[in-house]
Amino acid sequence: MSLNKEQMRTLYRNLVRADHMNNMMYQRMLQGKLIGFYHPSDGAIAPGVGACSFLNEDDNLSPHHRGHGITHMLSKGIDIRYYLAEHTGKDTGCCGGRSAFHFSFPKQKVYMMSGFIGYNFAPSVGWGWAAKRRNQGQVVMNCSGDGSYGQGRAHEAMLMAMNWRLPIIFFCENNGMAIHSEISDMHPTEDVSSLAQGYGMPAMVIDGQDVFACAEAAMAAIERARNGKGPTFIEAKTLRIKEHDMGTPDLKGWEARTEEEREELKQRDPLVLATARVLAEGILSQADIDQLHEQASAEVQEIEDFADNSEIARPSEEELLADVFAP
Amino acid sequence: MAELTLVEAINLAYAEELRRDDKVFLVGQDIRGGIFPHTMGLVQEFGPDRIVDTPIAESGMFGVAFGAAQEGFRPVVDFMFGGFSYVTFSEASVTTGQYYFLHGSQHPLPLVMTAAVGTGMRLANDHAMSIHGTFAHHPGIKVAMPSTPYDAKGLMKAAIRDNNPVMIPWHMGIMQERGEVPDDDYIVPLGKADVKLAGSDVTVLANSMQLKHALAVAKKLEGEIDVEVIDPRSFVPFDMETLLISLEKTNRLVIIDEDWESGGFAATLSARVMEQAFDLLDAPVIRVTMANMPVPGGYMEEYVAPNPTKIEAAIRQVCA
Repeated sequence: MSLNKEQMRTLYRNLVRADHMNNMMYQRMLQGKLIGFYHPSDGAIAPGVGACSFLNEDDNLSPHHRGHGITHMLSKGIDIRYYLAEHTGKDTGCCGGRSAFHFSFPKQKVYMMSGFIGYNFAPSVGWGWAAKRRNQGQVVMNCSGDGSYGQGRAHEAMLMAMNWRLPIIFFCENNGMAIHSEISDMHPTEDVSSLAQGYGMPAMVIDGQDVFACAEAAMAAIERARNGKGPTFIEAKTLRIKEHDMGTPDLKGWEARTEEEREELKQRDPLVLATARVLAEGILSQADIDQLHEQASAEVQEIEDFADNSEIARPSEEELLADVFAP
Repeated sequence: MAELTLVEAINLAYAEELRRDDKVFLVGQDIRGGIFPHTMGLVQEFGPDRIVDTPIAESGMFGVAFGAAQEGFRPVVDFMFGGFSYVTFSEASVTTGQYYFLHGSQHPLPLVMTAAVGTGMRLANDHAMSIHGTFAHHPGIKVAMPSTPYDAKGLMKAAIRDNNPVMIPWHMGIMQERGEVPDDDYIVPLGKADVKLAGSDVTVLANSMQLKHALAVAKKLEGEIDVEVIDPRSFVPFDMETLLISLEKTNRLVIIDEDWESGGFAATLSARVMEQAFDLLDAPVIRVTMANMPVPGGYMEEYVAPNPTKIEAAIRQVCA
């Protein structure tokens, strides 16, 4: 499936936005202006942009936790103002400021984040089951990392998705490490996607640094799913430039990663690669690119202003208690 | 009006709700064929799309219900035995209980969990443990347990129509007990206790198979001790009002609970009564519970689990 110029511009624009928002989150965490923690997405934004930029509003999405799902959600068209407000404990947050880093945008079918890695697999089966029963062409984009495939839930979901030919895309963003553990220590084969073979599920390995390759693969899998042909496994080989979680040591196994290693990874930053390509192919000019960065800066400013100008949510204990059950 | 067993009453509740609302469906393992008779005949009427069998994969099975509930369906997920809910317990308790509240109370999660529980079949711990107290411990989940076929149908229908996660365990020890079950479309509201027997000397709170035991003991003590027996029916929400009205009259309380002594619902309730109604009590609350050992199987459960002998001793002690 080849992309047209308009699609390439959309992808590039979302890549720029994701990059700016990751930097915003990183800076805010350093400044003490973010509740909880932040798992930086430096170097790993192409898979989310590629997987989610061409989803419909009524498609289900479970975002990868890296970058706290912002890459994926902004690509699906979700207004990140309400997530930053949530992440800063404000009453305008998407969950009323009570969820810390969790998110929920039920109208756009990003229902939830749970703090458990691999939480996404079991509900994905339910979303896929519902989509199949409705038969209106919805799909489930199920994004998570290589580490999450250690969960038995991943295998249960693949088993059931393939058994029932559910419209689920297992989009594995493989950065080769789970916190500090290297995949070679945790996984017996070269590719996580080789798991799909056991379930008879079509699988592909793609370059997760190439946003266009990610989108092409995602679009093909989405089309298959929409047409009732069942699940696909996509493994996007990506990387992680920074530490797992801000403030924790940046280790590979139990040894610190060197500055040289990080520098080498930066050469493969998806934005660097995509910029070279859009310029070389005349998709965008340098002036266009500069303008996209200006727009992204302005968007980030708007997001931060919205959160910073909102009130801290402090409902009473009685009000909270009255909210535990639905009427 | 028909005389049905408890499992037949559950079956009737399923059939009526499946007919009433196309969004209702059942998911479990071997519920089409049926390990227990409560799902018998449903697949023939409603088809395999609404009576869904999954592989032996509890998380995936629970995920069908959870995800479909988010999508607007109204699933009933059957764990078969209550102990099996622990296989997917993070989803069934933590993630389920927090979903609505934590995400801003904007999107309800209408799903029913059910499972066979309890002693009476000599099956031992993982096939006999109580789960109502464990689920009641997790905020955001309603919990109710039927003691009669009438309540089994009414509670199950109330649970299916509720917009929250509801756990309805049912007790294997009384699954074949018979009782009158009306054909009408009635519900038994969640959070409403039932005074089964009026009395003035002591209040005994008991549920499910233990309610049967409590009523038998009360009958035995007739003329000697006047026992009031209350079936809470629901644990979350709990009908404290009915209990306090009873205590104003009796001033004595025995709580029967087949769950373990440590951290069980009886402990919570005992503390609540002390906090809210200390002045009503003429004697300390007594609990009759499962001792803190894994539930033994074979012929030991009869004397280890709460039973009429232990219940009678507790009633005599609190009235002494």
